[in-house]
Amino acid sequence: MSTKKKVLLKVIILGDSGVGKTSLMNQYVNKKFSGGYKATIGADFLTKDVMVDDRIVTMQIWDTAGQERFQSLGVAFYRGADCCVLVFDVSLPSTFKSLDSWRDEFLVQASPRDPENFPFVVLGNKIDLENRTIQSKRAQQWCQNKNNIPYFETSAKEAINVEQAFQTIAKNALAQESDQDIYNEFPDQIKLPGDNKLNNSDAGCSC
Amino acid sequence: MNTNLIEDNKCDDQNMETENWNVELSGEIINSRQYTNENLEGEISNLTKTLNSTLNFVENEEIYWQTWEWKSKQHIFILSSAGKPIYSRYGNEDDLVTLFGVMQAIVSVVLDSNDELYFIHTSNKHFSFLRKESLLLVSVSQLPSNSDLSIMRLNYIYNQIISILTLTQLTRIFQQYNNFDLRRLLSGSERLINSFIDFTENEPGFFLNSVECLPLSSSVRDNIAQAIISSCQKIRNLLFAILLAENQLIIIIRMKKYFLLPSDLHLIFNLVSSSQSFRTAEGWTPICLPYFDASGYMQAHVSYLSEECQACLLLLTVDRELFFILSEAKQKIVEKLDRNALLQQIKEAMKKPKIFASEFNVPKLRHFIYKNKNTNQFVFPQYEVPYHIPEKQNSLLLLYCQLCQQLNKPFTSLKLLFQQLKTETVLGWDTKGIELYLIFEPFVTKPEAINAVNKLLKYIKKDEDKLFIVNSPTF
Repeated sequence: MSTKKKVLLKVIILGDSGVGKTSLMNQYVNKKFSGGYKATIGADFLTKDVMVDDRIVTMQIWDTAGQERFQSLGVAFYRGADCCVLVFDVSLPSTFKSLDSWRDEFLVQASPRDPENFPFVVLGNKIDLENRTIQSKRAQQWCQNKNNIPYFETSAKEAINVEQAFQTIAKNALAQESDQDIYNEFPDQIKLPGDNKLNNSDAGCSC
Repeated sequence: MNTNLIEDNKCDDQNMETENWNVELSGEIINSRQYTNENLEGEISNLTKTLNSTLNFVENEEIYWQTWEWKSKQHIFILSSAGKPIYSRYGNEDDLVTLFGVMQAIVSVVLDSNDELYFIHTSNKHFSFLRKESLLLVSVSQLPSNSDLSIMRLNYIYNQIISILTLTQLTRIFQQYNNFDLRRLLSGSERLINSFIDFTENEPGFFLNSVECLPLSSSVRDNIAQAIISSCQKIRNLLFAILLAENQLIIIIRMKKYFLLPSDLHLIFNLVSSSQSFRTAEGWTPICLPYFDASGYMQAHVSYLSEECQACLLLLTVDRELFFILSEAKQKIVEKLDRNALLQQIKEAMKKPKIFASEFNVPKLRHFIYKNKNTNQFVFPQYEVPYHIPEKQNSLLLLYCQLCQQLNKPFTSLKLLFQQLKTETVLGWDTKGIELYLIFEPFVTKPEAINAVNKLLKYIKKDEDKLFIVNSPTF
């Protein structure tokens, strides 16, 4: 393994059932779209390498079913996410309304260090459909109010904006990850507690 | 090690269909059960499918997968509790990102129902899981391996990581950033993990929880100890001086009241054997010994005695400023050893081949292990025919390992074990202060075996103070 590692980002996709999370992911990773709907069982994982500013970034994308099944993964699903993608269906107002609770749920469960600046991305999916009910303006407004979350209108079916959206996801997550300051000034040194015996086990090797 | 793990699951039936699986969980320590939760089914088959496909990938790279070597080896994965890859023994972990996610998901599903996943057995893969506060360690083997041993191995690997980072740092980093990519801190240390896994597969010291000593007459050993003690006497905060001949201990001198356990010594062996740089220049390196104190580092001065005498001296202290003092002490030690012809003695002892089982003239005895339980030291003779080829050595080790596990099973009082197997007759004996494992030709009778034990014990007793470190000198 080389010292210059590729970067790994954990990306989770949230949103109501049927908004097209799995389709978006498939479109992005495999460049294909399957029209039929299949409920996701547990978590689905996909991996994709992208280039962001000369660095190779591996995205580990965690996808989940709408409401009930992901609960079984509990906090592990959210833990340590580098970016959270919120998806709604532009033709279904209820899925847009759910964004608030998805975002809250994420912040509670993942409890990121800096919730205000945690990288979210919102995707309004299915813009290829005729019966659009949530207009761009309304979605943009919501995103602005949440500390300027980037907003993309996508179609997994027509492959519109999918690539761009995920590029932004990777970029924002990477920016966040690079902030980590891991070098503490002094490594921890053990101290001998005077004459007190350390908590050595009795089974000590007397060799 | 958690000795209360659930019973080894017997899943020898090779005719099971590939989709068959069973899972072992244990909510309480002794309570064990087989689990067939419908909710888990999706995840488990997902896991096994993903695993099979990634393992096939490994196979394409021609890494052991189909060979006997692989059959006896385990695949090892380490991941963070967020499901991010940290280490993969084979293959590139960047290519196995999905697999890591699936493993984390499975363990979490079980955890979420207030239970704990330890093992999954499918018809041709056996998984063991060890969950720690910040990490998840997973091993996969093709053979229905000993489950307790797999968990013990994963604990060893975890300790190697603690040894590199300290528990304090590991805990703190994940408390601060639960999305942390631990490879950033471990890069460059993978060789330590690799070689420690090899150690657990190749060295009997691992399952015997013991160390091997370099045979030396007790007067020579005492003189070496004196040379070291007299050169270090005025140095404060010097905890241990350890002299190694590869993976054999020559002497260990300790500060009063402090001891090192074999598993910590194994970490020291591993540090020395996997670092070539100490051969060319004296080293000054932090090392954490988890059983001694997992919270922080000791500082180790590491150097070889001389060009001619390739024994490695470690001086362990808690004082980071002690380098020059220890460097000076080392010079003094070498001078004293040289002056008293002890360097020469060590060199000669290191050149001598290990003892052979055949030199004891015990009829039909092929090989043996003698372990002194009081000092946690053992004797392991040189491999001889028919154990002269690696494949046979490997199965011999596995055989010993099984014997050792059977004799040391918690809550049993098995003292003597005699088995006539297809290719060997084996005897394991646990008696006061000693564990003895003998491997004979097939068709050896019990009286013959007992005779052999008595004969062997007599020989070993005679050489005891040469084969083992009997004194425990202090500064």
